[in-house]
Amino acid sequence: MEKTNITVGALPIPDPVSLYIANAKGFFKEEGLTVTPKIITGGAAAIPAIENGSLDISQTNYVSTFLAVSTGKKIKLVADMYQAGPNTFNIMVPKDSPIKTVADLKGKTIFVNNLRNVATLAVTSQLKVAGLTESDVTFKEKPFPDMGNAILSGQADAGWITEPFITANQSAHGFRKLADTMTGQTADLPIAGWMATEEWASKYPKTLAAFQRAISKAQQVASSDRKEIEAMLPKYTKIDAKTASVITLGAYPSELNANRLQKVADLMLEYGYLKSAIDVNSVIVAPPTSG
Amino acid sequence: MTGARLLRGAIGAAGFLVVGELLIRFGISPELAFPAPSTILLEAVRLLADTEFLAGVGTTLTNWVLGLLVATAIAVPLGVLLGALTPLERAIRPLLEFMRPIPSVAIIPLAILLIPVDELMKISVIVYASVWPILINTLYGMHDVDPLAKESLRSFGFGRLAVLARVSLPSAAPFVATGVRIAAGIALVLAVSAELLAGGFNGIGVYVTVAGSGNRTDLMMAATFWAGVIGVLANVLLMAGERRLFHWHRMRTGAAGS
Repeated sequence: MEKTNITVGALPIPDPVSLYIANAKGFFKEEGLTVTPKIITGGAAAIPAIENGSLDISQTNYVSTFLAVSTGKKIKLVADMYQAGPNTFNIMVPKDSPIKTVADLKGKTIFVNNLRNVATLAVTSQLKVAGLTESDVTFKEKPFPDMGNAILSGQADAGWITEPFITANQSAHGFRKLADTMTGQTADLPIAGWMATEEWASKYPKTLAAFQRAISKAQQVASSDRKEIEAMLPKYTKIDAKTASVITLGAYPSELNANRLQKVADLMLEYGYLKSAIDVNSVIVAPPTSG
Repeated sequence: MTGARLLRGAIGAAGFLVVGELLIRFGISPELAFPAPSTILLEAVRLLADTEFLAGVGTTLTNWVLGLLVATAIAVPLGVLLGALTPLERAIRPLLEFMRPIPSVAIIPLAILLIPVDELMKISVIVYASVWPILINTLYGMHDVDPLAKESLRSFGFGRLAVLARVSLPSAAPFVATGVRIAAGIALVLAVSAELLAGGFNGIGVYVTVAGSGNRTDLMMAATFWAGVIGVLANVLLMAGERRLFHWHRMRTGAAGS
């Protein structure tokens, strides 16, 4: 193997749980890999970190990746991580809000964690169903932990919220769900994956294959036993055991599938996030065929 | 600090906490999930037994102290040099005045891009931010040297370096110390900001980020509380050091203890 010690960037959210499962269960060790997780602050912020080598591999969200690829960044997706499930990304409003349907959002302000990202893409696809477009609403950026309070204090009318904040805002403030944004066009939308630079992937093919095998194994554990996720979440996030047992989780695919990911790139093209089509096959590094 | 002043300070802080507590518990918007001061303080005490947090504090403190030391090692000699050579100072001053007000936090993204080693990146931004107050204070110190003392030494046949060592440096030292104390506060802000913006393996800022992941506003505030305490302690320590070392300076300038 070309490199046995690698640093991997991950956000403190449920998506990258298999990184921690693979470490805890010794899947990386079995492959001869020592993996050190490092907290990152966002998928887009991780791109310079893999480019300058401070991270070997990093968590990313697919929208950020395809945007970066469209501007000429040499990035490869190396493994899948997280796929949306029902009620994992909802538009939420305060309990006494006059907004009853998505159509009522016309002229309103909606909080998203990032502008021009999967957040705005998902909300826009729901607006379309209600006969609205992106320009009928105002998107404002706000980190998930601050959204609930900021909506209550009138800074926005609604928020695009994910777990554990859906559960937190429901129980603390009685927020209600206006819409599940992962339905229709965005049902089962692939959300996040692992990326490396093209250069890194071609320089360390055996290291990469080892990482892919271990992660795939951990993804299988995550998708077959929710208890494993619940046990791991409090160890690398501040999601407590009680919340971990009730939050809604998406899916943890164990294989990087170009057809599934193509849906994200096609949606981005449809809604003008991309100027020209991207063939996802050219962006992914297929998993190794044999050990 | 006298006993009476300490008491008054404590009353002020306690009053502030009580008002905060009442406002949040019964006040304007009890719906907000903002934790009450008592909750934050309780969490802050709990953090003292949290090994993950303590490791983070260790990392932040290490970066902070290293950054401050490197900044001092750069800024003091540079300040002395510029202070001693007026034409050089005039040539460089506009550049200094241009770079000094650039908000240091704004260079963090650039630093992330340029410096691949995490700790080195963080120390570099700390150094960048803390060089300015030390440099400017050293310059002021060098300008403030008593010309009569310098002339006297020169007339006794002492060379340039001897005058620098015997008169200029001791005279500028209290200014340098003040510069270091101001820089210490700025350096701590940068140490935590770099962690908040860039992430990392651990650190006070990284802990705050992770606390946010679980909607733990109380933990975020508790970690921030300790950052504040560390800043206050550092200031008190450095001020006491200044007072001890440069007692004569206060006597001469008549600056009352502040």
